[in-house]
Amino acid sequence: MSEPDHFLACTNLRFGYKQGRVVFDRLTISFEAGSFIQIRGASGSGKSTLLRLLSRLEEPDAGAILFHGRPVADYPPPVFRKSICYVQQTPTLIAGTVRDNLLLPFGFRTNRESPKPDDDALQKLLLEFRMDDVALSDHALSLSGGQRQRLCLIRALLLNPDALLLDEPVSALDDESKQSVQEAILTVHRTRGITVLLASHQPFDTQGTPIVSYNITERALVRRNGS
Amino acid sequence: MNTQDIDALGLSSGLVFIAIAIAGSLLYSLKLEKDLLIGTLRTFAQLFLMGYILSGVFAFDLEWPVMACFVFMAVFAVWLIRGRAKEHEVHYLMPILAFMTVAYLIVTGFVSGVIVGVKPWWSPRYFITLGGMIIGNSTTAISIALERLFSDLRTRRAEVEMMLTLGADYREASADIIRNAMRAGMIPTINAMMGVGIVFIPGMMTGQILGGADPSMAIRYQIMVMLMLTGSTTLGSLVSVLIARRRSFGKAHELLIRPETTP
Repeated sequence: MSEPDHFLACTNLRFGYKQGRVVFDRLTISFEAGSFIQIRGASGSGKSTLLRLLSRLEEPDAGAILFHGRPVADYPPPVFRKSICYVQQTPTLIAGTVRDNLLLPFGFRTNRESPKPDDDALQKLLLEFRMDDVALSDHALSLSGGQRQRLCLIRALLLNPDALLLDEPVSALDDESKQSVQEAILTVHRTRGITVLLASHQPFDTQGTPIVSYNITERALVRRNGS
Repeated sequence: MNTQDIDALGLSSGLVFIAIAIAGSLLYSLKLEKDLLIGTLRTFAQLFLMGYILSGVFAFDLEWPVMACFVFMAVFAVWLIRGRAKEHEVHYLMPILAFMTVAYLIVTGFVSGVIVGVKPWWSPRYFITLGGMIIGNSTTAISIALERLFSDLRTRRAEVEMMLTLGADYREASADIIRNAMRAGMIPTINAMMGVGIVFIPGMMTGQILGGADPSMAIRYQIMVMLMLTGSTTLGSLVSVLIARRRSFGKAHELLIRPETTP
């Protein structure tokens, strides 16, 4: 049997904010490619900080982060970041149409070589993520919270990432929107085999999909029993 | 024509205007009385001190005191910029000081030595006055530009980070913010060019005319000064914003500017 691919790993990671609060101390953990991982913990326990560290939006005070066994510093930051696309808790869109938002990443130098999807491909994705009532020419800022979150997911998917790092994707949504976003996330994982690393303070209904679950306690990650 | 001198009594009667300002502040509870008093005292103290220093520098007529004055003005300008830009986590002041000193020394040297044609090019009467105008106006432009840059990086942090996560480098993620900051720094100088001679008579021209100079010569000087200030404030806004932007992002292109409510 082949060794599992630990595509993303931290060794002896230490991170604290300047105000003096230490969030992680000697954190060592690795995440297996292709899995669905949930990081749970109370508000302020460091779930978002962990995802921000993994996507290099914060730099650790000590320790290393490895991507496919190599230090992340070996990769140009834009190339690394689009491979493990971090999706923020609050969906952030630019003023413009749905199309403008979906094609935004293709204006960045790193993505210029990637094939730019045409309107048909974009429309198909909107349908797949149950946004059939949304047109590409609609103003993105007029969408509902759940639609915005799904639009951000689709935008990240267009970059063909190895993994998606999702920061509390459903915490601010009503029940109906929550369900549609949960389904969208599961679709991404099941149909495309994309690794999902999801930070959430509440349980995530994976509808039978195997899940690896960790709890953040005492500045460390503890694997939950039975997962 | 000789300039009409202002004696001590005349100068002190000018304080009536400060009294009007203080009365206005008191009337509408603006709480600016203390600032007005300190500002007035500093105006007297700083300008008299400057007068004594300039008299000394003019009397020496040597290159090094002129350059020392110039560097001192640049250091003071950066100190003012630091106070106004309100960002103390990012270290951007030393490179801006180095830039201001070198770039504005060259600009001032070019204006005095080539455009005005003074010999020697560092002649204190020209070099310090022109240099003072360049540094003073650029300080305002740079302060406005940096204040805008840091404020936008703070308030639009989510947007910048969204672009970073989608593969943008720090330049691409902050391109719009940079443009706005540069424009903010340049607009006051452009507005001044629009209004000059119609809405207001600039200080330098007023000074020369009051000093007995021929208005046509004062106009030529003023045009030269306006062009010089447009160039130097543009240069200052652009380069300072680029320096501060680079210092606002880390090695991994991560944004170092913290929102005011960081956990």
